[in-house]
Amino acid sequence: MKKVIMGNHAVSYGVRASDVKVISAYPITPQTQVVELLSEMCANGELDAKFIAVESEHSALTACVGASAAGSRTFTATSSQGLLLMHEIIHWAVGARLPIVMSNVNRAVGPPWSIWTDQNDSLSQRDTGWLQIYCESNQEVQDTIVQAFKIAETVMLPVMIVLDAFFLSHTFEIVDILEPEAVRPFLPPYRPARKIDTADPHSFGNLAGPGEYFELRYMIEKAMEDSRAVIERTDREFEERFGRGYGIVKPYRCDDADYVLVTSGTVASTTRAVVDAMRAEGIKIGSLKVRVFRPFPFDEVREVLSKAKKVGVIDRNISFGHHGIFYQEVKSALYGRTNVPVTGFITGLGGRDVTPAVIRGIAEKLIAGTNLEPDINWIGVKI
Amino acid sequence: MGEKITFKSYKEMPICAMSGADMTYNLTGSWRNVRPYYDFKVSPCRLGCPAMENIQRYIFLLTQEKYEEAWRELMEANPMPSVTGRVCFHPCMEKCTRKDFDQAINIPAIERSIGDRGLDNPGWMKKAPATKKETVAVVGGGPAGLSAAYYLARRGYPVTIFEADAVLGGTLRWGIPEYRLPNDVLDRVVAQIVGSGPITVKTGAALGRDVDLAKLEKEFAAVFVGVGLSRSRPLGVAGEEGRGIERGLDFLRRVNGGEPVNPGRSVAVVGGGNTAMDVARCARRAGAEVTVVYRRTMNEMPAIKDEIEEAEHEGVRFRFLAAPKSIERGASGPLTVVFQQMKLGDPDESGRRRPVPDGDATFTLSVNTMFTAIGEEADAAPFGKLLECDGNLIATKGEWGETSRKKIFAGGDVATGAASVVEAVAAGRKAAERISRMLSGEPEPAAEETGTISIENINTAYFTKGKRLLVPRIPLDEALAGYREIHTGYDDRMLRREADRCFSCGVCNFCDNCWVFCPDVAVRRLEAEYEFDYDFCKGCLVCVIECPRCAISTREEGK
Amino acid sequence: MNAPKIPLPELMTSGHLACQGCGATQAMRFALKALGPRTALVLPACCWSVIDGPFPHSSLKVPILHTAFEAAASTASGLKAGLEMRGDTETVVMAWAGDGGTFDIGIQALSGAAERNEDIIYCCYDNEAYMNTGIQRSSSTPIGAWTTTTPGVHWKKRPKKKMIDIMAAHSIPYIATASVAYPNDLIEKFRKAREIKGTRFLHVFAPCPTGWKLAPELSVSMARQAVTSKVFPLVEVTDNGRTWKVWKDFEPTPVKDYCMAQGRFRHLSEDELRLVAEGIEENWQYLLSREAGSAFVPGLQH
Repeated sequence: MKKVIMGNHAVSYGVRASDVKVISAYPITPQTQVVELLSEMCANGELDAKFIAVESEHSALTACVGASAAGSRTFTATSSQGLLLMHEIIHWAVGARLPIVMSNVNRAVGPPWSIWTDQNDSLSQRDTGWLQIYCESNQEVQDTIVQAFKIAETVMLPVMIVLDAFFLSHTFEIVDILEPEAVRPFLPPYRPARKIDTADPHSFGNLAGPGEYFELRYMIEKAMEDSRAVIERTDREFEERFGRGYGIVKPYRCDDADYVLVTSGTVASTTRAVVDAMRAEGIKIGSLKVRVFRPFPFDEVREVLSKAKKVGVIDRNISFGHHGIFYQEVKSALYGRTNVPVTGFITGLGGRDVTPAVIRGIAEKLIAGTNLEPDINWIGVKI
Repeated sequence: MGEKITFKSYKEMPICAMSGADMTYNLTGSWRNVRPYYDFKVSPCRLGCPAMENIQRYIFLLTQEKYEEAWRELMEANPMPSVTGRVCFHPCMEKCTRKDFDQAINIPAIERSIGDRGLDNPGWMKKAPATKKETVAVVGGGPAGLSAAYYLARRGYPVTIFEADAVLGGTLRWGIPEYRLPNDVLDRVVAQIVGSGPITVKTGAALGRDVDLAKLEKEFAAVFVGVGLSRSRPLGVAGEEGRGIERGLDFLRRVNGGEPVNPGRSVAVVGGGNTAMDVARCARRAGAEVTVVYRRTMNEMPAIKDEIEEAEHEGVRFRFLAAPKSIERGASGPLTVVFQQMKLGDPDESGRRRPVPDGDATFTLSVNTMFTAIGEEADAAPFGKLLECDGNLIATKGEWGETSRKKIFAGGDVATGAASVVEAVAAGRKAAERISRMLSGEPEPAAEETGTISIENINTAYFTKGKRLLVPRIPLDEALAGYREIHTGYDDRMLRREADRCFSCGVCNFCDNCWVFCPDVAVRRLEAEYEFDYDFCKGCLVCVIECPRCAISTREEGK
Repeated sequence: MNAPKIPLPELMTSGHLACQGCGATQAMRFALKALGPRTALVLPACCWSVIDGPFPHSSLKVPILHTAFEAAASTASGLKAGLEMRGDTETVVMAWAGDGGTFDIGIQALSGAAERNEDIIYCCYDNEAYMNTGIQRSSSTPIGAWTTTTPGVHWKKRPKKKMIDIMAAHSIPYIATASVAYPNDLIEKFRKAREIKGTRFLHVFAPCPTGWKLAPELSVSMARQAVTSKVFPLVEVTDNGRTWKVWKDFEPTPVKDYCMAQGRFRHLSEDELRLVAEGIEENWQYLLSREAGSAFVPGLQH
């Protein structure tokens, strides 16, 4: 069944399709519709889950930790300040190896108050051990939620699905709704090997000395590494079953491209339109959408970008004192492998529009190579 | 004790921190500086009891509703608790720690209840067979003799009791009125003792008259002499032999024998001991107005305090600091007795202040009968030649009743002078134990160090203040109407209630506190004891403080 | 031997890492004896995070989920929901937090869970300061006490937070205080709590010899004196916060004796001690007035 729905509701439908058992969330713009619809689904029986309407995001995620540790499939949704309030538990969920899935609507962080999109909230959780997948369409959002549970429960790490505020969260698109019955063979009920169980009592998360902590962290990294193959396999299986696949990265017209723009989120769609327009003018340009940010797709990024003459990375985020974050990541992926020059572009912070014209400007600047800072170029800022 | 899990590779580990075993690999006993250990003391009451009854223990058994076991424990020290529970002066209660908290435990009432249960359950007393060939003669069937006979018979020695009277009991039978110790109770006690083992009784066999001590010494492997005091002391006042004057003991004998007595309307009793009280109270029951005249004051009276109070309660009057000086009597009618007024002088050898005449002050009483009850003495004639004596008494050494003859032992009043039933019982038992050791060649027991405790050692937070439960009694008018026993004894509920008041000083009574409060689960609760698990005991010593009764002591590690 | 006064089965093992004479450990042992093996614990940061023992060991025979400091009540909410949704409706979920994790950092999550009336037991074992971190003041630290953050003349000048009032204001079905010195009462309250649905708040007084500068052997004795000196009254609040019951059947003991046994109060002058005692009496009278007031709550049958 196809419906025209907003991105936030695409999240809700993904959760519904995944037979989630416990949802715990707290309202924050611009993700509120995710939990509103989920509350409604729980209330009307469409979804057989407990909805815990907690008093904060911190509690939202800790409730998920509890529910997931009990062995139930668990979901939460948040954004920006809420995500930051969760930060302690973001780490906790990883150390506890709980396959929680969360949607985060990218929203700029205050002060000043801003409800519009940028990626600093989710990217500031980069080093916590969550898998991060950035989506560009409502359909992808819904489908990725379902994939995320399967991936999370395979590698026993939590997964964050990221979507842009308003450009996706409040934008209505046609979505082919996944029905739980159809998804169940793809995503069977969660049956964890370890859980809180009075019949088999264990203490989870107690003090580990230097003799053990190190190995536990090594295993998280190992799981993260292993997850690349799992993500790929899951996406392939999903595609076989539902006809839609998304890849770890999405290269667009890159095979013969001299110039490649690296993007993420909704900027990727806009960029593809710009690529088509410039290709029509004979410019050999392509784009690379980084869909999975953690684990970082080193091989895929290297493979696509090593053939280019120039690479530009568009960041809707800033790591103060150290350039755009995707830029850093791409550069570190390429370092020592190829000499292709990589240039960073910061744009669209706090929800400033990243229009085709903005992207074209970036492309042209990259191609021309004039007035180009080597690492960080602020696009559109009123200097 | 558990094993510590160690990992050689991350591959052996769960993916998250998750326990796979408990903490018992971690022997926290190594943290300990000071070690608690169970260290049971001797309860003060036991030290206060001449018979060393294990009072704490039998009360504890009562709280467990183990009545037969309680009775057995009591019978280990005293074969006639039904008697002592009624007539003892209970020095144990003076020592009772609870006295310093609220009121002492009513130990005699408990003792009596247990003893009576033993009488009511004849099956509890399994007759001991004669397992020894050595025979023992016991001369005297009073408390000392019965006690000696019992403990010898229980050990398998064939015993022959020689009793001057027609029935056993001695002073218990003739010296104590029925309102304190009913004859049927005494009969059952005697029967129980006689039936407890190989005991032969020869009545009408008085020492010196029918039985010769030297002959017994030859015929028996050992002899115990417990003949008591047979003679009343004279007043030493002219006219004391004659109409209207009677020895108190003779009067009691007549009363206890069921003979009708009529001492008249007005009676004086001279003396301040238990006999004086009993005579006075019997005279009250015979309808007399009774005045007890004592040469010292109330404080010096040797009678049991309870008995004095009972006598007062029954309307007996007291005149203190007075002694009879002369007696005037006509052919009939009341006597006129002149009393010298006394005052207290310097202390005598007993520590009590000696009464001395207070100048010429006198007063007179007109009485129908005057009873003398100023004490009894032994007749040394039957044993004086064979045994070393101390005055009229048989000289003994040590606590075991040994006399100057190796095979002859003595105990009770004949060795100590006028004392109490419980002391006679204790003496009989100790002599029996000594005789048994002599005959079997067992070594003497080593003297034990007996630590005890006092109120400072009790954790009183675990006790609620209350009152001793008094034994129910019949109304005064009923008491005075005859010789019915005044105290009716505890029922089961009362017995249990009073038993529950016991602190169980210095001795574990399984209150569970050490086990309950151990933060380290290092106290094992076993079938009939607790045990410290020193592998884990950290030495916090909470158990020591929370033991309500100081049954746990401490010592420094490595010392 | 008599029938045991408290249940025999042990759900706590020896070898744990508590200090000598630890009240928190006794509290746990009693609580688990009352609740039985079908209990799952949530432990936020607190002394018990250490007492439990290091990975891969544990001193409890019930499942434990360790969680962040402020997260006891929310983690427990989720755990209960998660268990129920996988078909386990029987397991009792108990959040077990210290006073810091309850009165201070965890109060938000606790308030949230209580307001939602989550079907959990929340137990605060109260040793009246941050003991695990080395004796810093919490809002449960009593007036007059020394801690490392209320040193010298800066001994704590503010009274202990009235946690029971705060919980009663949440209209939850069962609230009680208990003391390790009264294990039977404690166990009875946990058993009562076990049978009730909704949020049940138990506040257990658990002496800390280390933090109170107290000889370890006196820990239970102090807990007892805390009750008898009215420093820590034993209270039960039922009928969704409306009916208050204060236990009064004890021989009162002086507040001064209680304070002077502990190094943390020993700096107090006679005048200061009097002030402390007055505050305690005031609180006692306040509790009695709450109890008296219970009788007049409309709609209640007595």
